[in-house]
Amino acid sequence: MRWVTRTAVHIDRAGCAWLIRRFIDAEARFVFVADPAETPTDASPFDMRGAELGHHGPDCSFETILRRRELDDPVLWKLAEIVHEADLDDEAFDAPEARGLDVIVRGLSMTCDDARILELTGPIFDGLYEYFRRGMLLGREPA
Amino acid sequence: MPYQAPGEWVLLAYRVPREPSSPRIAIWRKLKRLGVAQVGDGLVALPADARTREHLDWLAEEVVEAGGSAMMWLARPATVAAERELAAGMTAARVAEYGKVLAEAAAGAELEPMARAALLRRLRAELRRIARRDYFPPPQRGEAQAAVAALASRARVESQEPA
Repeated sequence: MRWVTRTAVHIDRAGCAWLIRRFIDAEARFVFVADPAETPTDASPFDMRGAELGHHGPDCSFETILRRRELDDPVLWKLAEIVHEADLDDEAFDAPEARGLDVIVRGLSMTCDDARILELTGPIFDGLYEYFRRGMLLGREPA
Repeated sequence: MPYQAPGEWVLLAYRVPREPSSPRIAIWRKLKRLGVAQVGDGLVALPADARTREHLDWLAEEVVEAGGSAMMWLARPATVAAERELAAGMTAARVAEYGKVLAEAAAGAELEPMARAALLRRLRAELRRIARRDYFPPPQRGEAQAAVAALASRARVESQEPA
């Protein structure tokens, strides 16, 4: 299935793309548009104004996808806190990881195109997921 | 100084229904947090970049979801003087914020170590918050940073002194 989002990918879109490919659509292909009017009709939009899978109320798009797709994995909700803070920085959550992640993706957006950013951030989110999964199983910081 | 044409600004023209008040207040808080310049009634501005455009874009969406209307504009002030006035207003707000941090950091030197460590954490977070909405950094920024750094180095020196 084709998915579409805005170009100049930052943390929320990078996180959503990873979430979609890992948990919703393993065959996902991503298209990036500068103007919402260019959105292909056969692609599902995310993290775009007017899209169901966008910011709603206090939620960033990553959180919206978890809610609308009823993904209740607590590890994903932990990642959602980090993405939320990296994206919105509104101190709704205590997520000290967010600042570093925000800077990493901002830096990548200066040196890479959108497709490459998704290639690079995918393994980062895989690693974060595994880190917090083990942390939750152990009930403490994993080694 | 060489002539510099006015830069690009992103403007949000918006109207939120008076009731219910909670979405209206949430929107107002977010605008305040972003450090917008209030250009007029229901019209705010920020220097345009990818981040400010994105933040205002989502706020526009939130306004619409709250039953209001919103429109984003990209524009340039017609004169350099107008732009300076806009920037000066924003800078004055930041100067006041840095001033508070500076005063608190100076007063913190007298605190006992535990209370001072707590103050240091709070002031560092506050400095980060202010810096995120500081688009035209005034000299007071460096002064506030130096005062907080002094508080931190004092704590370090004391922790190495024999009891």
